[in-house]
Amino acid sequence: MKADPSGVLTGTHNISGNYACAEGALAAGCRFLGVYPIAPALEVSERFLQRAKKVGATFIQMEDEISTLAAVIGASWTGKKSMTVTSGPGLSLMMEHIGLGIMLETPCVIVDVQRVGPGLGLPSQPSQGDMMQARWGSHGDYELIALAPSSSQEMFDFTIKAFNFSERFRIPVAVMSDEYVAHLQEEVVIPRAKDITLEPRRYFDGPIGSYLPFKRDEDLIPRMVDIGQGYKFHVTGLTHDDRGYPIMNEECQEYNVHPLVKKIRDYTDEIIEVQEVNIEDADIIIISYGVSSKAALKAMEQARGLGLKVGSLKLVTVWPFPEKRVAELAGKVNAFVVPEMNFGQVVLEVERCSYGKSNVFFIPHGGKGVEDTEDILKAINQAVQDDRIIDRIVELR
Amino acid sequence: MNEIITTFAQALEKADVKPDQVCVPSDILFEPETVKRFGFDYFHTTRGRAIAFGTGLKLANPALKVVPFAGDLMTIGGNHFVHGSRRNMELTVICINNFVYRKIAGKSAPSAAQKFSPYSTFEEPFNIPHLGNSCSAIYTARWTALHTEELAASIAEALGKKGLSVIEILAPGPDYYTGISKVNVDLVRFYYDNSEIRNNEDPKNVGIKPDSRIIVGKFTSKERPTFIDQYNAQLSSVLGEKFIPHGIRSGADPGGKNGGD
Repeated sequence: MKADPSGVLTGTHNISGNYACAEGALAAGCRFLGVYPIAPALEVSERFLQRAKKVGATFIQMEDEISTLAAVIGASWTGKKSMTVTSGPGLSLMMEHIGLGIMLETPCVIVDVQRVGPGLGLPSQPSQGDMMQARWGSHGDYELIALAPSSSQEMFDFTIKAFNFSERFRIPVAVMSDEYVAHLQEEVVIPRAKDITLEPRRYFDGPIGSYLPFKRDEDLIPRMVDIGQGYKFHVTGLTHDDRGYPIMNEECQEYNVHPLVKKIRDYTDEIIEVQEVNIEDADIIIISYGVSSKAALKAMEQARGLGLKVGSLKLVTVWPFPEKRVAELAGKVNAFVVPEMNFGQVVLEVERCSYGKSNVFFIPHGGKGVEDTEDILKAINQAVQDDRIIDRIVELR
Repeated sequence: MNEIITTFAQALEKADVKPDQVCVPSDILFEPETVKRFGFDYFHTTRGRAIAFGTGLKLANPALKVVPFAGDLMTIGGNHFVHGSRRNMELTVICINNFVYRKIAGKSAPSAAQKFSPYSTFEEPFNIPHLGNSCSAIYTARWTALHTEELAASIAEALGKKGLSVIEILAPGPDYYTGISKVNVDLVRFYYDNSEIRNNEDPKNVGIKPDSRIIVGKFTSKERPTFIDQYNAQLSSVLGEKFIPHGIRSGADPGGKNGGD
């Protein structure tokens, strides 16, 4: 399925990450945006609303982020691709409905423009402090997909990718941006509509009366219908069977919830994407995501200039985590260097997946600004000197 | 509870609304087979958030009749109710007030009359029609579950109105652990026997108080532009002919499948 040309602003633009995100959403066919205003995510809704009039999209500002995601999930069931955009404090409020979205298997996209936390933190500074919350924040067992853009172009591309994943797997997908990427003014190339491939919603087309909202196809994804087509369906956020009726026993819990996890875990090869540079001969690999990967790539080039064998592995999908790839590399390289704009989140996954076979050096970053290339270089130097196996993450200050 | 759904189905018939066009987001779990028999789409959502969920449904597909059934309306749902009323979202809110958290013995709701239970109810309760009216809801009414005819008439009337209506129904909820359809009939009978119909009463006078009669009736009915009306009017005035009014073309596409409008 190709993009609807009415939403695609084909051409080369010099726009911010937030604007690129709105353009990506419109190109992906998003026609419903629910928001509660929060810095530094504001410009996404500003741009969306500017353009909404021409493409017939709808926008609502709700009373809080809880109702925002509720409205987005509702809108998605009418057949409209739906999105919300927020920042840390808003993401905290959305946790309830991330769980509902997972349980009702509703496609939708949540853009989190991360700012420094906890609490109200620093509203105008970038951070990568919501990574674990996005993965684990709602109660119960689930998997979700999270992408981490590092530029305006990636804000555009990954927002489309997020919509495609959400339709393919019937799941809320998070785009984990940050204040720096959001406000960075960069060149964005928006292709022609016919060059943008979109994942169509998988509809049930059987007779009225025979629709089961949670009957899974072979690949574990159930089919959808839109509200108001006369299918008379019943869905619930309680543990349910194929009919969407609540069934309160352990067998149904297994029957209902295990596939929610399996439908992602069995398809990690299709979902996970990493960008590797200079991996083949590397002794040290910098693992980074989002805006930190800009500094990581620069540090890698400088280290190569000094004759050090350094590679870069950039996570496009942070969740599910590329554990197979990291484990493969763990035996082959001496150390992973992980710069993150928090006090240690995704680095825990790197350590877990390296199974003690490679050292893990972590460069924390507490707030103001972004990761410094110098700090990454220092970590690389330490990793070169310290080649004995250390049984814990080495945190550099 | 099934009786309320039955009354609701009668109201749909009376208002000449096809169940196909109706969607019920609800934080109350009904017996699914009963719901299914009446032929509307049903979402059992998170506690208290039926109005928020319904706002998305209605805005994304304005052809739908969205009827949120609300349980935790005055607690978790309080802010959604206040803002839904203010916005005048086209929702027919049916609030089932049983004064308690039925599954959690002894916990009374903020809509419970004082002294409703011997230990836990001492706070001032919400007067739901008054709160709705104060926040500019266009229609307010209260009935007991046994006022089936009046209730059906009220729901039918509210379904024909453009904006947020709220109808409070006094009812005992089903007791989950003693069987989903088991209802304490004596209690509904008690509400019914102690009620007094006062149509058009000012909602500020209809608070439920201990030791006095429960005032029921259709209290207020007014007209006011809906959220979608105001949205279209505002954007049309700013953008002129460039703006495609929302809900006009998607009204012809009740499935909402052509997301691009």
